[in-house]
Amino acid sequence: MTRKQAKFFFLAPAIIWVFVFTIFPLGYSAVLSVFSLENSVDVTRTKVPLLDDAGEPVLTRSGKPRTRTVIERTVNSDWTFVGGKNFVRITKDMQAAEAAKVTVIFAVVAVTIQIVLGMALALLFNRKLPARGVMRSVMIMPIFATPIAVGYLFFTIFFENGGPLSFTGIPWLSNPSWALFSVILVDVWQWTPFAFLVFLAALQGIDSEQIEAARLDTESSWKIFTNIVLPALQPVIVIVLLLRFAEAIKVFDIPFALTGGGPGVATQSYTFLAFRTGLRFFDVGYASAMSYTLLIAAMIIVTVFFSRIRKSYS
Amino acid sequence: MVVRRYARLYDQVFSVVAIFVALVFFFPIYWAASTSLRNPIDTFTVSGVGVPFLDFDPTLNNWIDQLSTPETQNALINSTIISTLATLLALLVGLPAAYALARFRYTTIKNKDLTVWFLSQRVLPPVATVMPFFLVMRSLGLLDTHLALILINATFILPFVVVILRQSFLDLPYELEEAALVDGASFFQTFLRIALPLSLPSVVTTGLIIFAFAWNEFLFAITISSQKAITIPVHMAGAVDTRGVQFWFMAVRALIAMIPPVVIALLAQRYIVRGLTLGAVKG
Repeated sequence: MTRKQAKFFFLAPAIIWVFVFTIFPLGYSAVLSVFSLENSVDVTRTKVPLLDDAGEPVLTRSGKPRTRTVIERTVNSDWTFVGGKNFVRITKDMQAAEAAKVTVIFAVVAVTIQIVLGMALALLFNRKLPARGVMRSVMIMPIFATPIAVGYLFFTIFFENGGPLSFTGIPWLSNPSWALFSVILVDVWQWTPFAFLVFLAALQGIDSEQIEAARLDTESSWKIFTNIVLPALQPVIVIVLLLRFAEAIKVFDIPFALTGGGPGVATQSYTFLAFRTGLRFFDVGYASAMSYTLLIAAMIIVTVFFSRIRKSYS
Repeated sequence: MVVRRYARLYDQVFSVVAIFVALVFFFPIYWAASTSLRNPIDTFTVSGVGVPFLDFDPTLNNWIDQLSTPETQNALINSTIISTLATLLALLVGLPAAYALARFRYTTIKNKDLTVWFLSQRVLPPVATVMPFFLVMRSLGLLDTHLALILINATFILPFVVVILRQSFLDLPYELEEAALVDGASFFQTFLRIALPLSLPSVVTTGLIIFAFAWNEFLFAITISSQKAITIPVHMAGAVDTRGVQFWFMAVRALIAMIPPVVIALLAQRYIVRGLTLGAVKG
């Protein structure tokens, strides 16, 4: 095998795979998004003679054969080309607007808390600690805990009649604003450790001599943080911010399990709504248009993200 | 003297804060374990934080009940089969690509751009592909099959394999492979006999991490599976029918779902930061 052949055969399977299982579905989805699927039901009534056990027609008193009516329903799925109508519909759809609002609030608040809290914890723990390994292990657990199970687990924790947090009297899941906050809290529980671990790893890479020198110059801790630590950590903060944000706008599992999108639609995320529209109500064209809107939002984030970190992959 | 005393006080305050933080993050998992060991009658009546033996008499009945149902066993088997095969498939397709991006120079499309292209798959919203995937699988008659879920999970974890293991191959010294090539070994032999064994630890760790991702996947699993191919997260969601009543079963199911990926994450600790930032931060 020449180098040229090796170059081709090593890389080709993965590229073909992505084309078959990612690019093709995305193209399919793009096509679906400009169609509308109308399900119409045709009902046909036909009268058939009623037969007795022996197969003979049953007669009425007047001697005519008795009949029974057979009702047949056939579902016709008609794909109609609607052009950009699905996308126009999104802009007028109150539910989509609400879901978008919920998703943005969720993503902004959750990611902000994760970054601030993760940073605070990383600074706090960036020192010699007797049980550092234990702390690290405890922080790794939430990240890998099955999200759907985490959602149900927190359902038992936020349970208002006898759950461990019921002593607060807070309507964790029954009040719309609190319910959204509860979903945010679960995400904070799950992903603050991620910010923490990444920041801690980055903190340990900072030259400690520089900080010692600044400390000897009697600079305040806050000044050391803003002048030395924060600039050194800036690229890592950007990475965590964008990775988390790109994940957060896709949130689905936690609201699905914790609140079922409720109360009302208070915690119905955009992915949740698209999932319901497409796979529960089979409004496939419209749901595809909705997912494409999310895709475009994600792509904008990705573009910003990769323009920043592209150099680390060179 | 004064300074030292302050330092000691600071250390003590710090230890208290550290323990508190660890307890807060551990509490939900502890609570699940505690609930899972309670008799149904104790579920809402325990005092304090529900310490077994102290606040209630623990029982293993909930665990025995849940683990002996055919549904749970079926879901455990399905999840294991799907996650394992998806992991192996992703490694099979992704490893050569990772190696190629580390060792060959591509000119039409640069290595950097190819890597970023693989990376960008990770950020796509899965809901954009779930409907076409559902329709295609329906027309192929593959709904509710292991195969459909293996294929889609392999697709999700493939970018991880390519991007993270590319970095591992880059970290290897090239001299050995060069020597083998000079001695007349083929590219494939060099990859299989030299590069792969040398990077085996990171291949195994990456394999563990992507297994956990596949194990946790829910959106496609609930769309594709309905009975035969139900995975653990979908089985977990079945608790929705009984929610509000049978918390003890929900706790058991949540733990059954969470234990394998959490244990795996603890095994793969060293690579977690690198894995989760897709190689952008070396932890």
